[in-house]
Amino acid sequence: MKFLVVDDSATMRRIVINSLQRIGFNDTVEAADGQEALAKFDSTVKFVITDWNMPNMSGTEFTKVLRSRPDGAHVPVLMVTARSVKEDILTAMEAGVNNYIVKPFTPAVLKEKIDALLPAAAA
Amino acid sequence: MSSPRAHEVLYESEATLRLVDSQLSELRHSAAAEPPRQPGLADLPGILERANTQILDVLSRLRQTRVAMQSSALDKIQTTHDKLKEVTTATEDAAINIMDACDRATQMVDVLDAIDAAPAPDKAKAAEVRGTLRDEIFMMMGALQFQDITTQQLSHASAVLVEMERRLDDVTRLFDTNIEAGIFTGGREYNASDSQTYDPNATTQNAEGRQALADEIFTAVKQPAA
Repeated sequence: MKFLVVDDSATMRRIVINSLQRIGFNDTVEAADGQEALAKFDSTVKFVITDWNMPNMSGTEFTKVLRSRPDGAHVPVLMVTARSVKEDILTAMEAGVNNYIVKPFTPAVLKEKIDALLPAAAA
Repeated sequence: MSSPRAHEVLYESEATLRLVDSQLSELRHSAAAEPPRQPGLADLPGILERANTQILDVLSRLRQTRVAMQSSALDKIQTTHDKLKEVTTATEDAAINIMDACDRATQMVDVLDAIDAAPAPDKAKAAEVRGTLRDEIFMMMGALQFQDITTQQLSHASAVLVEMERRLDDVTRLFDTNIEAGIFTGGREYNASDSQTYDPNATTQNAEGRQALADEIFTAVKQPAA
Protein backbone atom coordinates (compact mmCIF):
# COMPACT_ATOMS: atom_id res chain seq x y z
CA MET A 1 0.00 0.00 0.00
CA LYS A 2 1.47 3.35 -1.04
CA PHE A 3 1.48 6.24 1.45
CA LEU A 4 1.89 9.91 0.55
CA VAL A 5 3.59 11.78 3.42
CA VAL A 6 3.26 15.57 3.27
CA ASP A 7 5.16 17.85 5.66
CA ASP A 8 7.39 20.89 5.19
CA SER A 9 9.72 19.56 7.90
CA ALA A 10 12.16 17.02 6.48
CA THR A 11 12.66 15.71 10.03
CA MET A 12 8.95 15.02 10.45
CA ARG A 13 8.69 13.34 7.03
CA ARG A 14 11.54 11.06 8.00
CA ILE A 15 10.01 10.27 11.40
CA VAL A 16 6.63 9.44 9.83
CA ILE A 17 8.20 7.36 7.06
CA ASN A 18 10.35 5.44 9.56
CA SER A 19 7.27 4.86 11.72
CA LEU A 20 5.42 3.50 8.68
CA GLN A 21 8.30 1.19 7.81
CA ARG A 22 8.34 -0.06 11.37
CA ILE A 23 4.72 -1.13 11.12
CA GLY A 24 5.25 -2.74 7.76
CA PHE A 25 4.49 -0.06 5.16
CA ASN A 26 7.53 0.46 2.98
CA ASP A 27 5.99 2.05 -0.11
CA THR A 28 6.03 5.80 0.51
CA VAL A 29 6.25 9.00 -1.48
CA GLU A 30 6.88 12.36 0.16
CA ALA A 31 6.06 16.02 -0.52
CA ALA A 32 7.03 19.27 1.23
CA ASP A 33 3.74 21.12 0.77
CA GLY A 34 0.21 20.79 -0.57
CA GLN A 35 1.10 21.82 -4.10
CA GLU A 36 3.86 19.24 -4.39
CA ALA A 37 1.53 16.66 -2.85
CA LEU A 38 -1.14 17.32 -5.46
CA ALA A 39 1.45 16.93 -8.18
CA LYS A 40 2.62 13.60 -6.72
CA PHE A 41 -0.79 12.19 -5.91
CA ASP A 42 -2.18 9.59 -8.26
CA SER A 43 -4.47 6.59 -8.08
CA THR A 44 -1.66 4.39 -6.78
CA VAL A 45 -1.59 6.36 -3.51
CA LYS A 46 -3.90 4.64 -1.04
CA PHE A 47 -3.28 6.64 2.10
CA VAL A 48 -2.32 10.28 2.78
CA ILE A 49 -0.64 11.60 5.92
CA THR A 50 -0.39 15.37 5.91
CA ASP A 51 0.75 18.26 8.08
CA TRP A 52 -1.38 21.43 8.31
CA ASN A 53 0.99 24.42 8.37
CA MET A 54 3.01 24.43 5.18
CA PRO A 55 4.11 27.04 2.62
CA ASN A 56 2.37 27.43 -0.76
CA MET A 57 -0.59 25.21 0.14
CA SER A 58 -1.68 24.12 3.61
CA GLY A 59 -2.81 20.64 4.57
CA THR A 60 -6.47 21.66 4.77
CA GLU A 61 -6.37 23.36 1.36
CA PHE A 62 -4.65 20.31 -0.10
CA THR A 63 -7.29 18.01 1.39
CA LYS A 64 -10.13 20.12 -0.01
CA VAL A 65 -8.61 20.03 -3.51
CA LEU A 66 -7.94 16.32 -3.16
CA ARG A 67 -11.56 15.68 -2.19
CA SER A 68 -12.71 17.47 -5.36
CA ARG A 69 -10.73 15.06 -7.54
CA PRO A 70 -12.35 11.77 -8.55
CA ASP A 71 -9.20 9.83 -7.65
CA GLY A 72 -8.83 11.56 -4.28
CA ALA A 73 -12.40 11.76 -3.08
CA HIS A 74 -12.24 8.64 -0.95
CA VAL A 75 -8.59 8.15 -0.07
CA PRO A 76 -8.06 8.22 3.72
CA VAL A 77 -6.40 11.44 4.90
CA LEU A 78 -4.73 11.49 8.30
CA MET A 79 -3.69 14.93 9.54
CA VAL A 80 -0.59 15.10 11.76
CA THR A 81 -0.21 18.61 13.13
CA ALA A 82 0.77 20.78 16.08
CA ARG A 83 -2.60 22.55 15.86
CA SER A 84 -4.90 21.25 18.56
CA VAL A 85 -7.62 23.75 19.46
CA LYS A 86 -11.19 22.65 18.93
CA GLU A 87 -11.84 25.08 16.05
CA ASP A 88 -8.82 23.77 14.16
CA ILE A 89 -9.90 20.17 14.57
CA LEU A 90 -13.38 21.00 13.29
CA THR A 91 -11.91 22.93 10.36
CA ALA A 92 -9.80 19.90 9.44
CA MET A 93 -12.86 17.69 9.56
CA GLU A 94 -14.78 20.09 7.33
CA ALA A 95 -11.90 20.01 4.85
CA GLY A 96 -12.33 16.25 4.59
CA VAL A 97 -9.71 14.87 6.95
CA ASN A 98 -10.58 11.37 8.24
CA ASN A 99 -8.61 11.46 11.46
CA TYR A 100 -6.26 13.66 13.40
CA ILE A 101 -2.96 13.21 15.23
CA VAL A 102 -1.51 15.89 17.48
CA LYS A 103 2.26 16.46 17.41
CA PRO A 104 4.35 15.25 19.09
CA PHE A 105 2.89 11.78 18.58
CA THR A 106 3.90 8.29 19.60
CA PRO A 107 4.27 5.41 17.11
CA ALA A 108 1.42 3.65 18.94
CA VAL A 109 -1.00 6.51 18.18
CA LEU A 110 0.07 6.56 14.53
CA LYS A 111 -0.48 2.81 14.23
CA GLU A 112 -3.87 3.01 15.93
CA LYS A 113 -5.12 5.73 13.54
CA ILE A 114 -3.76 3.98 10.45
CA ASP A 115 -5.28 0.65 11.50
CA ALA A 116 -8.67 2.32 11.96
CA LEU A 117 -8.55 3.73 8.41
CA LEU A 118 -7.07 0.71 6.66
CA PRO A 119 -10.44 -0.79 5.64
CA ALA A 120 -11.24 2.44 3.81
CA ALA A 121 -7.82 2.46 2.18
CA ALA A 122 -8.22 -1.11 1.00
CA ALA A 123 -11.70 -0.46 -0.46
CA MET B 1 -5.43 46.53 23.95
CA SER B 2 -5.71 45.20 20.43
CA SER B 3 -3.41 46.15 17.60
CA PRO B 4 -6.18 47.95 15.63
CA ARG B 5 -6.85 50.10 18.71
CA ALA B 6 -3.16 50.93 19.01
CA HIS B 7 -3.13 51.96 15.34
CA GLU B 8 -6.24 54.06 15.90
CA VAL B 9 -4.66 55.94 18.79
CA LEU B 10 -1.47 56.42 16.81
CA TYR B 11 -3.50 57.78 13.92
CA GLU B 12 -5.38 60.19 16.18
CA SER B 13 -2.14 61.39 17.79
CA GLU B 14 -0.63 61.99 14.39
CA ALA B 15 -3.73 63.91 13.31
CA THR B 16 -3.52 66.09 16.43
CA LEU B 17 0.14 66.81 15.90
CA ARG B 18 -0.58 67.79 12.32
CA LEU B 19 -3.40 70.05 13.51
CA VAL B 20 -1.06 71.84 15.93
CA ASP B 21 1.50 72.24 13.18
CA SER B 22 -1.15 73.58 10.82
CA GLN B 23 -2.43 76.08 13.38
CA LEU B 24 1.05 77.30 14.22
CA SER B 25 1.74 77.77 10.50
CA GLU B 26 -1.56 79.64 10.18
CA LEU B 27 -0.65 81.92 13.03
CA ARG B 28 2.74 82.53 11.49
CA HIS B 29 1.24 83.28 8.05
CA SER B 30 -1.55 85.47 9.39
CA ALA B 31 0.98 87.39 11.43
CA ALA B 32 3.03 87.87 8.29
CA ALA B 33 0.00 88.84 6.17
CA GLU B 34 -1.43 91.35 8.60
CA PRO B 35 -0.22 94.90 8.31
CA PRO B 36 2.56 95.41 10.72
CA ARG B 37 1.26 96.57 13.98
CA GLN B 38 2.72 96.93 17.35
CA PRO B 39 2.49 93.53 18.98
CA GLY B 40 0.11 93.98 21.80
CA LEU B 41 0.59 92.32 25.05
CA ALA B 42 -3.17 91.94 25.15
CA ASP B 43 -2.93 89.22 22.41
CA LEU B 44 -0.45 87.15 24.31
CA PRO B 45 -2.75 85.47 26.88
CA GLY B 46 -5.12 84.34 24.15
CA ILE B 47 -2.32 82.88 22.04
CA LEU B 48 -0.77 81.19 25.03
CA GLU B 49 -4.11 79.76 26.13
CA ARG B 50 -4.76 78.29 22.69
CA ALA B 51 -1.26 76.87 22.56
CA ASN B 52 -1.69 75.45 26.04
CA THR B 53 -4.99 73.77 25.08
CA GLN B 54 -3.42 72.24 21.99
CA ILE B 55 -0.38 71.04 23.92
CA LEU B 56 -2.54 69.48 26.63
CA ASP B 57 -4.56 67.74 23.94
CA VAL B 58 -1.40 66.41 22.33
CA LEU B 59 -0.07 65.21 25.69
CA SER B 60 -3.36 63.46 26.39
CA ARG B 61 -3.18 61.69 23.03
CA LEU B 62 0.42 60.75 23.64
CA ARG B 63 -0.48 59.25 27.01
CA GLN B 64 -3.20 57.19 25.35
CA THR B 65 -0.70 56.10 22.71
CA ARG B 66 1.81 55.12 25.38
CA VAL B 67 -0.79 53.09 27.27
CA ALA B 68 -1.88 51.39 24.06
CA MET B 69 1.69 50.61 23.05
CA GLN B 70 2.65 49.40 26.52
CA SER B 71 -0.40 47.20 26.85
CA SER B 72 -0.14 45.45 23.51
CA ALA B 73 3.65 45.33 23.52
CA LEU B 74 3.96 43.87 27.02
CA ASP B 75 1.45 41.12 26.27
CA LYS B 76 3.29 40.15 23.13
CA ILE B 77 6.71 40.32 24.74
CA GLN B 78 5.50 38.11 27.60
CA THR B 79 4.04 35.57 25.15
CA THR B 80 7.24 35.58 23.13
CA HIS B 81 9.31 35.17 26.30
CA ASP B 82 7.16 32.17 27.30
CA LYS B 83 7.56 30.63 23.84
CA LEU B 84 11.32 31.03 23.88
CA LYS B 85 11.46 29.51 27.34
CA GLU B 86 9.42 26.57 26.07
CA VAL B 87 11.85 26.13 23.18
CA THR B 88 14.69 25.84 25.68
CA THR B 89 12.75 23.36 27.81
CA ALA B 90 11.67 21.25 24.83
CA THR B 91 15.22 21.13 23.50
CA GLU B 92 16.60 20.10 26.88
CA ASP B 93 13.86 17.49 27.44
CA ALA B 94 14.51 15.95 24.03
CA ALA B 95 18.28 15.92 24.65
CA ILE B 96 17.81 14.21 28.03
CA ASN B 97 15.37 11.66 26.57
CA ILE B 98 17.82 10.84 23.79
CA MET B 99 20.76 10.55 26.22
CA ASP B 100 18.72 8.28 28.50
CA ALA B 101 17.83 6.11 25.51
CA CYS B 102 21.52 6.02 24.49
CA ASP B 103 22.46 4.85 28.01
CA ARG B 104 19.84 2.08 27.90
CA ALA B 105 20.90 1.10 24.38
CA THR B 106 24.55 0.87 25.46
CA GLN B 107 23.59 -1.38 28.38
CA MET B 108 21.62 -3.60 25.99
CA VAL B 109 24.62 -3.91 23.70
CA ASP B 110 26.64 -5.00 26.77
CA VAL B 111 23.97 -7.61 27.53
CA LEU B 112 24.12 -8.84 23.93
CA ASP B 113 27.92 -9.07 24.17
CA ALA B 114 27.57 -11.13 27.36
CA ILE B 115 25.06 -13.46 25.69
CA ASP B 116 27.38 -13.95 22.72
CA ALA B 117 30.32 -14.65 25.02
CA ALA B 118 28.46 -17.37 26.94
CA PRO B 119 29.35 -21.01 26.13
CA ALA B 120 25.72 -21.60 25.12
CA PRO B 121 24.25 -18.28 23.85
CA ASP B 122 20.62 -17.72 24.81
CA LYS B 123 19.19 -16.90 21.38
CA ALA B 124 15.69 -16.19 22.67
CA LYS B 125 17.03 -13.72 25.22
CA ALA B 126 19.21 -12.09 22.57
CA ALA B 127 16.21 -11.68 20.26
CA GLU B 128 14.24 -10.06 23.07
CA VAL B 129 17.06 -7.61 23.85
CA ARG B 130 17.44 -6.75 20.16
CA GLY B 131 13.71 -5.98 19.97
CA THR B 132 13.96 -3.68 22.98
CA LEU B 133 17.06 -2.08 21.49
CA ARG B 134 15.16 -1.32 18.27
CA ASP B 135 12.38 0.28 20.36
CA GLU B 136 14.94 2.50 22.10
CA ILE B 137 16.49 3.60 18.82
CA PHE B 138 13.04 4.33 17.45
CA MET B 139 12.19 6.31 20.58
CA MET B 140 15.27 8.47 19.99
CA MET B 141 13.99 9.26 16.52
CA GLY B 142 10.55 10.16 17.86
CA ALA B 143 12.12 12.53 20.38
CA LEU B 144 13.39 14.58 17.45
CA GLN B 145 9.82 15.77 16.78
CA PHE B 146 10.61 18.65 19.14
CA GLN B 147 12.54 20.21 16.24
CA ASP B 148 9.39 20.74 14.17
CA ILE B 149 7.48 22.27 17.09
CA THR B 150 10.31 24.56 18.22
CA THR B 151 10.79 25.76 14.64
CA GLN B 152 7.16 26.90 14.69
CA GLN B 153 7.62 28.57 18.08
CA LEU B 154 10.70 30.43 16.88
CA SER B 155 8.89 31.52 13.71
CA HIS B 156 6.14 32.97 15.88
CA ALA B 157 8.66 34.77 18.12
CA SER B 158 10.36 36.16 15.02
CA ALA B 159 7.03 37.44 13.69
CA VAL B 160 6.36 39.25 16.99
CA LEU B 161 9.79 40.91 16.90
CA VAL B 162 9.24 42.09 13.33
CA GLU B 163 5.87 43.55 14.34
CA MET B 164 7.41 45.33 17.35
CA GLU B 165 10.12 46.81 15.14
CA ARG B 166 7.51 48.13 12.72
CA ARG B 167 5.51 49.70 15.56
CA LEU B 168 8.56 51.41 17.01
CA ASP B 169 9.36 52.68 13.54
CA ASP B 170 5.81 54.05 13.18
CA VAL B 171 6.04 55.86 16.53
CA THR B 172 9.43 57.35 15.67
CA ARG B 173 8.19 58.66 12.37
CA LEU B 174 5.12 60.08 14.08
CA PHE B 175 7.36 62.55 15.86
CA ASP B 176 9.58 63.30 12.91
CA THR B 177 8.23 62.68 9.44
CA ASN B 178 11.67 63.39 8.00
CA ILE B 179 13.01 60.17 9.50
CA GLU B 180 13.08 57.39 6.96
CA ALA B 181 11.49 54.02 7.59
CA GLY B 182 13.70 51.32 9.06
CA ILE B 183 15.59 53.49 11.54
CA PHE B 184 15.71 50.62 14.05
CA THR B 185 17.10 48.15 11.57
CA GLY B 186 19.58 50.38 9.83
CA GLY B 187 17.48 50.15 6.68
CA ARG B 188 17.54 46.36 6.61
CA GLU B 189 14.25 44.59 5.94
CA TYR B 190 13.44 41.79 8.33
CA ASN B 191 10.68 39.60 7.01
CA ALA B 192 8.76 37.41 9.38
CA SER B 193 8.13 33.78 8.46
CA ASP B 194 5.03 33.15 6.39
CA SER B 195 2.27 32.87 9.01
CA GLN B 196 0.88 29.93 7.04
CA THR B 197 3.94 27.87 7.93
CA TYR B 198 3.54 27.91 11.71
CA ASP B 199 0.96 27.62 14.45
CA PRO B 200 1.33 30.39 17.06
CA ASN B 201 0.03 27.94 19.69
CA ALA B 202 2.39 25.09 18.77
CA THR B 203 3.66 23.32 21.89
CA THR B 204 5.39 20.13 22.93
CA GLN B 205 3.43 20.05 26.18
CA ASN B 206 0.42 17.91 27.09
CA ALA B 207 0.38 15.98 23.81
CA GLU B 208 -1.74 13.23 25.38
CA GLY B 209 -4.41 15.67 26.58
CA ARG B 210 -4.53 17.43 23.22
CA GLN B 211 -4.77 14.08 21.39
CA ALA B 212 -7.61 13.09 23.69
CA LEU B 213 -9.47 16.28 22.76
CA ALA B 214 -9.02 15.57 19.05
CA ASP B 215 -10.26 11.99 19.53
CA GLU B 216 -13.25 13.21 21.51
CA ILE B 217 -14.23 15.66 18.76
CA PHE B 218 -13.79 13.07 16.04
CA THR B 219 -15.93 10.65 18.00
CA ALA B 220 -18.61 13.25 18.69
CA VAL B 221 -18.81 14.60 15.16
CA LYS B 222 -19.63 12.17 12.42
CA GLN B 223 -16.56 11.45 10.34
CA PRO B 224 -16.76 12.21 6.64
CA ALA B 225 -17.05 9.12 4.48
CA ALA B 226 -13.64 7.73 3.74
